[in-house]
Amino acid sequence: MDPLTLALWAIRLAFLAALYVFLALVVRALLRDVRAASRDPAGALGRLVVVASGSLPAVGSVFPLDAVTTLGRDLGCSVVLDDAFASARHAILTFRGRGWYVEDLGSTNGTLVNGVPVAVALSLGFGDELQIGEVRMRLERGIG
Amino acid sequence: MTAAALPGFPRPVLRRRELSLLLAVAGTLILGSLSLGLTRTGSLALADPAGLVAYLGALVAVHVALVVAGRRVDEVLVPAVGLLGGIGLLLAERLPQDLVVQQVGSATLGLASLQLIWLVLALVIAAVVAITVRSDRWLRLYKYTWAALGLGLLLLTFVFGGETNGSRLTLDLGPVSGQPSELLKVILVVFFAAYLAENRVLLADARVGVAGRLTLPPAPYLLPAGLMLALALGIVVIQRDLGAALLFYVVFLCLFYLATGSKVDIALGIGLFLVGFMVLALVFPHVRDRVATWLDPWADPLGTGYQTIQALHAFARGGLLGTGLGAGLPMIDGHLPIPAVHTDYPLAALGEELGMAGVLAVLGCYLVVVARGLRVAAATADDVRALLCAGLALVIGVQAAIIAAGNLKLIPLTGITLPFISYGGSSLLVNGLIVGLLLAFSDRGPAPPVEPRRRRLGRDGA
Repeated sequence: MDPLTLALWAIRLAFLAALYVFLALVVRALLRDVRAASRDPAGALGRLVVVASGSLPAVGSVFPLDAVTTLGRDLGCSVVLDDAFASARHAILTFRGRGWYVEDLGSTNGTLVNGVPVAVALSLGFGDELQIGEVRMRLERGIG
Repeated sequence: MTAAALPGFPRPVLRRRELSLLLAVAGTLILGSLSLGLTRTGSLALADPAGLVAYLGALVAVHVALVVAGRRVDEVLVPAVGLLGGIGLLLAERLPQDLVVQQVGSATLGLASLQLIWLVLALVIAAVVAITVRSDRWLRLYKYTWAALGLGLLLLTFVFGGETNGSRLTLDLGPVSGQPSELLKVILVVFFAAYLAENRVLLADARVGVAGRLTLPPAPYLLPAGLMLALALGIVVIQRDLGAALLFYVVFLCLFYLATGSKVDIALGIGLFLVGFMVLALVFPHVRDRVATWLDPWADPLGTGYQTIQALHAFARGGLLGTGLGAGLPMIDGHLPIPAVHTDYPLAALGEELGMAGVLAVLGCYLVVVARGLRVAAATADDVRALLCAGLALVIGVQAAIIAAGNLKLIPLTGITLPFISYGGSSLLVNGLIVGLLLAFSDRGPAPPVEPRRRRLGRDGA
């Protein structure tokens, strides 16, 4: 086989291989981004997932939680609940040490955890359901 | 690079990942050009080195502009699109240059030169949009204005447009001519995103029972979107631009699903589409011919079925690894076997010369663009932007899927372009605009300030 034909074959295969090398590099970059996102500190402590709702927030919304998260109808709250039965500043979630606690901020209609009204600061486990007005939210473990 | 920026100027942000990916793109394109040059001249030389250098230079210029602008935008989109554009350029160099000839001033430009000019202009648009667009208010506030503008453009084409291949697509305004349906796809995505985000909750939750457990969103909220879509589809069908109609409809369904998450509506939408398509096939002989050609191209192998059959032969000749750039596409009576190879059938040409491996890599590149666009959408702060980015990415992906499936005879061929690869000014410029918008909306905000280096007291002995 003459060297030119051989070179042509080599270059053709190298071109095809280069296309796949590029794709592999891109996929590596994408995977790295996905991993970085899962290490993102936002919501690392936990998150609230809306499981039932009268109006807003829509069912399925996810709120990443800060160590101190206020809930209520007021726009200044970390989680704004547009619910007729929610008070302006309704409840507060705090991460103390290793777990979550919920306190009612003297709301008109009260805060329920798994259907039981909250009287004092109550420890909240992952998977517990928090109800404010018609909005029911589940506390979930954060990503990563 | 010093951390202290001039007042009023953003601090440049290094984009290492983009640079390394661009280097990979450059290497790939140089190999491709070598392969083409070796096949053509029989010596180890690049095919059209000036064009290649100009294109790679444009890519590097975009990279440098983004670095200097200091916005932290996506670093994968430019290389991925750059590779697709480069493959398109190689293909344009490889095809006979007299497929498209245009007189610019005193110079007569052939296919590759024109494709290079459009590609560079598209990159310029992408960079300018990526750097300057900061807010989407101008898009979302005037959604009905945009919609009216888009439909107006289409109507204008319908009245004054010139015909190409039996479709009224081109609008000639003196020296400028273009295909408004290309721009319409961006305008429609903007309108749908703004509209669906506004009415998302109503469409998803305030549902009216129709029969049994079947529910639909209340008609008043569904009507504007339906009307808009029907109008666009109607005009496009009257203009016989079926590819665009299919593209709009699929993207609309995708966005509707993203906004409401309702599978029932999507099933209904697909059902409506099938019914509509059958009606169209019954009413328009043009559509019926397309379907007949698709089902049995061998019924008229030298007439309507000619291109379809030649495309299948091209894929077959290519096999797994292809014939090599420049070695395929034998001339039949001095003509290319596929007359519209540079606009409608670039994938068949790639299939012949790069084989299945090359076609899969190209499709993989489109997948990367879509995945990246959806990722940008997922990271945005609000619904309008999320739907907008998802819609823009899907426009590219769905368009590539439709024309690829058409080339492979999986669905009837519809005359739309393969994004970034097909020849066509309007298509390239609008795709540049889409990439620019995706880049602009992927901005992660200003970089956190660099911490001043602390002096280590113990070691410095201070």
